[in-house]
Amino acid sequence: MSSQNIKTKIYRWHHRLNGSMTEYDLSAYQHQLSEIRAQITQIENRNNSALRQSAEKFKNTAHAGRSLESLMVESFALVYETIRRQLHLHAFDEQLIAGLVLHQGKIAEMQTGEGKTLAAVFPVCLNALTGKGVHVLTFNDYLARRDAQWMGPVYKALGFSIAFVQEGMSIQAKRQAYLADITYLTAKESGFDYLRDTLCRAEEDTVHREFHFALIDEADSILIDEARIPLVIAGSSASKRFNEQELAELAQSLDQKHHLEFDEFGRNFNFTDAGVQFVEQNLQCGNLFHAENIDLMTRLNCAIHATFFLQRDVDYIVRGNEIELVDGFTGRVADKRRWPDGLQRALEAKEKINKQSGGAILNSLTLQHFINLYPKIAGMTATAQVAEDEFKHFYNLTTVVIPSHKPCIREDFTDVVFATKSAKSQALIAEISAIHDSGRPILVGTASIDESEQLAAALHKNAISCTVLNAKNDTYEAEIIAEAGRLHAVTISTNMAGRGVDIVLGAANEDEKIKVVALGGLYVIGTGRHESLRIDKQLRGRAGRQGDPGSSRFYICMEDAIFIKYKLLDLLPKKLKSAAVAERTIQHIVKKKIHILQKIIEGQNLEIKKTLNQYASLIEQQRKVLYRKRKEIMVQKSGAEFYKNNAPQQYKLLRARLGEEQILNICTLITIHYIDKFWSAHLADINDIREGIHLVRLGGQKPEFEFQKLAVKRFTNLLVELETEILRIFNTLQVQGNKVDLESVGIKAPSATWTYLINDNPFENMFGTSLIGSANMGLSIAAAAWTPLLVLYMLWKKMTRKVMN
Amino acid sequence: MLSSLQSVFKIQDLRNRILFTLGILIVYRIGSHITLPNVNPEALMSFFDQAGGGGLFGLYDMFVGGAFSRATIFSLGIMPYISASIIIQLLGAVMPYFQRLQKQGEEGRRKITQYSRYGTVLISLMQAYGVSVFIESITTNQGLPVVPSPGWGFRIMTMVILASGTVLIMWFGEQLTERGIGNGISLIIFVGIIALFPNSVLDEWQQLIGGNRELIVEVILLGIMVVCIGFVTMLTQGTRKIPVQYAKRVVGRKIYGGQSTHIPLRVNTAGVMPIIFAQSLMFVPQTVTSFWPDSEIMGLVNIYFNMNSAIYQVVYAILIIFFTYFYTAIAFNPVDVADNMKKHGGFIPGVRPGKKTAEYIDNILTRVTLPGSFFLAAVAVLPYFIIKFTNVSYSYASFFGGTSLLIIVGVALDTLQQMESHLLMRHYDGFMKGGKIKGRR
Repeated sequence: MSSQNIKTKIYRWHHRLNGSMTEYDLSAYQHQLSEIRAQITQIENRNNSALRQSAEKFKNTAHAGRSLESLMVESFALVYETIRRQLHLHAFDEQLIAGLVLHQGKIAEMQTGEGKTLAAVFPVCLNALTGKGVHVLTFNDYLARRDAQWMGPVYKALGFSIAFVQEGMSIQAKRQAYLADITYLTAKESGFDYLRDTLCRAEEDTVHREFHFALIDEADSILIDEARIPLVIAGSSASKRFNEQELAELAQSLDQKHHLEFDEFGRNFNFTDAGVQFVEQNLQCGNLFHAENIDLMTRLNCAIHATFFLQRDVDYIVRGNEIELVDGFTGRVADKRRWPDGLQRALEAKEKINKQSGGAILNSLTLQHFINLYPKIAGMTATAQVAEDEFKHFYNLTTVVIPSHKPCIREDFTDVVFATKSAKSQALIAEISAIHDSGRPILVGTASIDESEQLAAALHKNAISCTVLNAKNDTYEAEIIAEAGRLHAVTISTNMAGRGVDIVLGAANEDEKIKVVALGGLYVIGTGRHESLRIDKQLRGRAGRQGDPGSSRFYICMEDAIFIKYKLLDLLPKKLKSAAVAERTIQHIVKKKIHILQKIIEGQNLEIKKTLNQYASLIEQQRKVLYRKRKEIMVQKSGAEFYKNNAPQQYKLLRARLGEEQILNICTLITIHYIDKFWSAHLADINDIREGIHLVRLGGQKPEFEFQKLAVKRFTNLLVELETEILRIFNTLQVQGNKVDLESVGIKAPSATWTYLINDNPFENMFGTSLIGSANMGLSIAAAAWTPLLVLYMLWKKMTRKVMN
Repeated sequence: MLSSLQSVFKIQDLRNRILFTLGILIVYRIGSHITLPNVNPEALMSFFDQAGGGGLFGLYDMFVGGAFSRATIFSLGIMPYISASIIIQLLGAVMPYFQRLQKQGEEGRRKITQYSRYGTVLISLMQAYGVSVFIESITTNQGLPVVPSPGWGFRIMTMVILASGTVLIMWFGEQLTERGIGNGISLIIFVGIIALFPNSVLDEWQQLIGGNRELIVEVILLGIMVVCIGFVTMLTQGTRKIPVQYAKRVVGRKIYGGQSTHIPLRVNTAGVMPIIFAQSLMFVPQTVTSFWPDSEIMGLVNIYFNMNSAIYQVVYAILIIFFTYFYTAIAFNPVDVADNMKKHGGFIPGVRPGKKTAEYIDNILTRVTLPGSFFLAAVAVLPYFIIKFTNVSYSYASFFGGTSLLIIVGVALDTLQQMESHLLMRHYDGFMKGGKIKGRR
């Protein structure tokens, strides 16, 4: 055993001692694997129709209620053989093992280029045997289409119906696609469709079937990074429209230094006294913080936020007459994603786009809760291990590490650290041109669109031709990536080239590939570290796929955004803080600190997610109650009974004039309309409560409990008010001719969807508040015993405060 | 009342939690009756009977439910753990390393818990050494030693047993918080205190049977106790709500609902801390002078500074009022609160954020704390008056106010609230059930 091996063993053993659940031992799967291999030799001489027949047989037995486990070996062998015939590919043992892992509802960690798409086919076919519908949730629309078309022949040869869903498809097409045995689509689209279904007024308009099994590609991105973002469905509303232009101009005229103060993370601001005065004078509004001015304040906040925090070509791009949001994790334009209402409008005012968009949130759901609606889920990604805790906590998924088929021989060089941005970019250009001269392909990963363009311009100045891939030219993505592995190629990209992107050395030209391999394969350069370690790992993973050679290196400097935002400089020893320090001496320390920093950020994000989840789970329960009822009323038209009992006269009258069928429809429509309306209001109300609930800590109460109490109380009241309101409306209905004009009482269907982000910030210093009242009796008692120390603590706080000011 | 009690047992999760809690607490109580090996319990008991209640040991004994005076394996109780976590928390203010840990979310918290546990072992070993030496040193007035065979063997064994006991209780506490109902540590203290109640009631009963007490006095006492419990409940619950607005990024539209965001300012922010510390401080003169029992000062102290003297009670009350303000200042820092609100876009309608808000909150806090501190002082001195006028036992009197009653009421309210939240989770039945709506409400 090599020393490397022993080291890995020790690391894993230590990891396990600390409560890690990750599985490394694959011997449990070896037995099944050899059974499958044996089965393959038995069927490899059968003809195509015989294979198809056995697939039919499996389907029938599955329908008859046989467990899928008993069919596993045979069907895996069948799929293997079909893949060989249809796609002329031989699945590796590792892919079969991954297939087994996925079937068990776990997360399979597979390195990039190890053939995740192929490995997925095995469990997908097995679970599709029941005919209940298997969803393969891909990272984006393009991959959904590509994978479905690529793997389509295999599924078709086995007699499965296969479809893919794309954004913007018609209801009929979607419904059709969801009826297929196997559907490829994005998680987001599936979630949106679910939300749309919850607003449908007739069963025929819904698209989803009952959920069955979801296999999630790039699981960490979808289940962790995107899970924080609530999917929102919003509809046009008749709320007041303001002219935001004036406020946008006021915000731009504010002096960053004198009028505003920014918090340490640069995420929030507040006014200085001079700022308040300036604003009050300009707006002639009296005391800005007066209760009457709350709407104005909110709008002004939005305007300032849009002006100072949202940067064009970093956070968003302007294309045509449209603001398009850029996702920080993927570097892509986030389809249909928007900022919260007011902020979006303020941003449009800033960019002088006259759209006046806005609307009421009708329903919202986090991706995490949506995914959990599937009774069985499994996932695969190249970066699972870093996030194993979260997979376990939120989804109860175990992580299994699948070894790569050929060992990865990529060299990951240590980071190069610089003091200043200019030094970094000089070194970067020097390095690129040196490597470029040899002909070796280079992929440069940058942090933002802005940066990618600046770097490209600088390279052009140095007569190095390069291609830029960012959210602005995402239509050429496939072509740019196809060329990225060729000799002399220099590709500058944002995070877009991080995930799901396969760069083939020499672009499928064998001679060229040999040359590129001889040069050392793809060279990946990162121009800065991302907040998430997983994103960095993904970028590295672009090089060295399937045993190819490759190398990666990060260039960082003390002026990078991440250093400033998280005050990394504070973590550094004092003598290293001065910009003049020679670069090479700080290498080691910075590398270590970067790791700590990424861990801290990840930990904080997890915290936020857990809090968010705690609150959201309660609302989820309420949603389920309400929507079960809603569906029952929609499908069975069972709402009429209620009206009949509580407004008998009106009911009799209407039925006499309209007939049984129409009155059932009217009852259903009114009920559904008001359920949606009240639910939308409830969500807004809950958001309100959530925003300030952490304050109850100051009274020694637990925010979770108080939130729960309030939310339940409000929901109970809501149901009562809802009943009263629908009866009131029902009683005002008037028959004209032989029908009732429901639109005149405001009952009509809304449209349009978009999503947005939420930020949650709990209190930082919890020690004091944990002493309040009866919050923690034990702590109070001991605190009394340690009073002399507390006195010192008070003095210390007083002193440090003075020093800070 | 009865129906909600019924539903408590209908919900499986809640029922299991309550049974789990009871189970753990019973084990804890059994443990606090198992005497340390090599200790003569009768001799020990006769020593404490002579010493009488009160004193610093008495206070500590109350928090560990009498386990200390019986020299049981749980003598140290949960206190070392709480002390360790307090020290770690305070270190956060002074040492950058701990400050960083506190900000590191999950990962950091795990580390902090780990350090607190190590600290617990360390502190309990030190305390246990002190206890073993103390027990070795005492003898009954017949000259009988409490520990028949003292020495390092006894000390080391005692240290190991007591430290293990504390670690076990710590584990009990964590399990209770996680799988039981309420805050585990608070509950363990609560149970220790409440365990003294049956005994003192029994004492009273015997006094009554023996004709030493008139029935009418007992009835009046019972009435006073009910009033006291009600009063302490009000004191614990009383809050003044300051409305807070958040400037959101969505322009709000509301159909119903009302102002829901506020800062709850408690009448008694400081909780039991002022009483405990004032009480401990009041023992100091007696303890110090007891080293020179024949001196003149000792005589003076004994005359003017015993529990029955008016001066003692007045000083006591003043100390409580003073410490109420002191601890309120530690627990609640208006400047921090105002800063925090400002940071997240919150403000009190009509009040400018920042300094003005801090002043505003401080002002209100000072005013609500004033009656709070007077009430607290009244609650604290009441037991002494009860003793003075009715001559009941010290332990019975302590249920009329002071630390015991505050802790009991505080923990009970907290636990009830948790139970309530479990009850709340349940049904929203009856919506649109078709029946007449009037009958249901």
